[in-house]
Amino acid sequence: MAGVSTKEIKTRIRSMESTKQITKAMEMVAASKLRHAQAKIAHSRPYFQLLYGVIQDIARLNTEQKLPYLQPVQNSEDRIAYVVIAGDRGLAGGYNSNILKMVYQDMAGKDVDVLPIGKKAADFFHLRGVPLLNEQYTNAEDVSVSDCFTMAKALCKAFKAGKYSEIRLGYSNFVSALSQTPATMELLPLSALDNDPTDEGEGILYEPGRRVVFEAIIPEYLGGVIYGALCESRASEQAARRSAMDTATQNAEEMIADLSLKFNQARQAAITQEITEIVAGT
Amino acid sequence: MKSFPLKIVTPDGLQFDGEAEELVVRTVDGDMGVMAGHINCVTALGMGRALIVSGGKRREAACIGGMLSVLEGSVTLVPTTFEWAETIDVRRAAAAEARARKALEEKARLSKMEQKIAEAHLKRSLVRQNVAAGSGRHN
Repeated sequence: MAGVSTKEIKTRIRSMESTKQITKAMEMVAASKLRHAQAKIAHSRPYFQLLYGVIQDIARLNTEQKLPYLQPVQNSEDRIAYVVIAGDRGLAGGYNSNILKMVYQDMAGKDVDVLPIGKKAADFFHLRGVPLLNEQYTNAEDVSVSDCFTMAKALCKAFKAGKYSEIRLGYSNFVSALSQTPATMELLPLSALDNDPTDEGEGILYEPGRRVVFEAIIPEYLGGVIYGALCESRASEQAARRSAMDTATQNAEEMIADLSLKFNQARQAAITQEITEIVAGT
Repeated sequence: MKSFPLKIVTPDGLQFDGEAEELVVRTVDGDMGVMAGHINCVTALGMGRALIVSGGKRREAACIGGMLSVLEGSVTLVPTTFEWAETIDVRRAAAAEARARKALEEKARLSKMEQKIAEAHLKRSLVRQNVAAGSGRHN
């Protein structure tokens, strides 16, 4: 019968079983982390919605000189800074490769610097010779709110100094537990707000002045956006890992079922052969 | 005393939602007090102590960055970080202070940006420690 001995099949079943245990455990860990990450998204959303509302109002009401951050600084270098958020570890389905490939395509043919968040992002761009701004945030799991604000402040300063004509963000959008889409968005300039100002002021007092408030709030807002994107990406990573591990567990189960059948067949064959030999009296 | 609705929202979620009689925060331009009936106003926050009087009780917090808006009588405080005095981890703040001071000692080796970051870290740790130390005095 089957060329494989029962012992060999048995070892394979055993190794499949331990693999299954690992993937199952990883799935459960990811599921619990996912729940935390989802709660964080919900918490962080109102914060930058409020800030964005104020920024919009100021941009709309401003009739004096042009506000900064709405268009690139004059004679700024034609260079783009990318903030890219990916994971630290693999085994998360297409999570890392989806976002990294998308950003890489987006930046093709342009002069860019990358600020990677997450080890996978840093490795990816390092390997392809893309200049990295710094490698302080290569541990995505440890990046805190205040890190996001430090980043945002540094980026705003570089933008104002004319070092970059544009600042973009690449992250994974958490649509649902089953679907995560990679996305890139423009952080600076806030060109969506650069339209003709109207004078329908609501009589709001800006202390000490619109411009000062605007300039103070923008870095905070960007920090909030980066943090929000980080939360979305983290949730996406956990969701992607959960479903990848779910599939792996199912595959392991299938293989175990298949191998068990083979094992039983081989055992039965051995018994049958033995009986035949006894009956034949050899 | 007349009260006004106050909401405090940070990136970590809602910190306070209710009626308050008085709010004092450190803005980019110095301390600013808000009481019921304040004019519509928006301002950016600095780093410092925030004082909230709600239901006759004073509460203090370390409040850093973000903005304050008063609109139609309701007040929204949107700070980057907001920690009630009693929840501040003093040991962590002290450790942050020591780290920032050590970084600043080697001033010559730091770039301007790094220097500024270290100074900001130092200032934040001092604000936290001050607020945490002050909470015992007022209660």
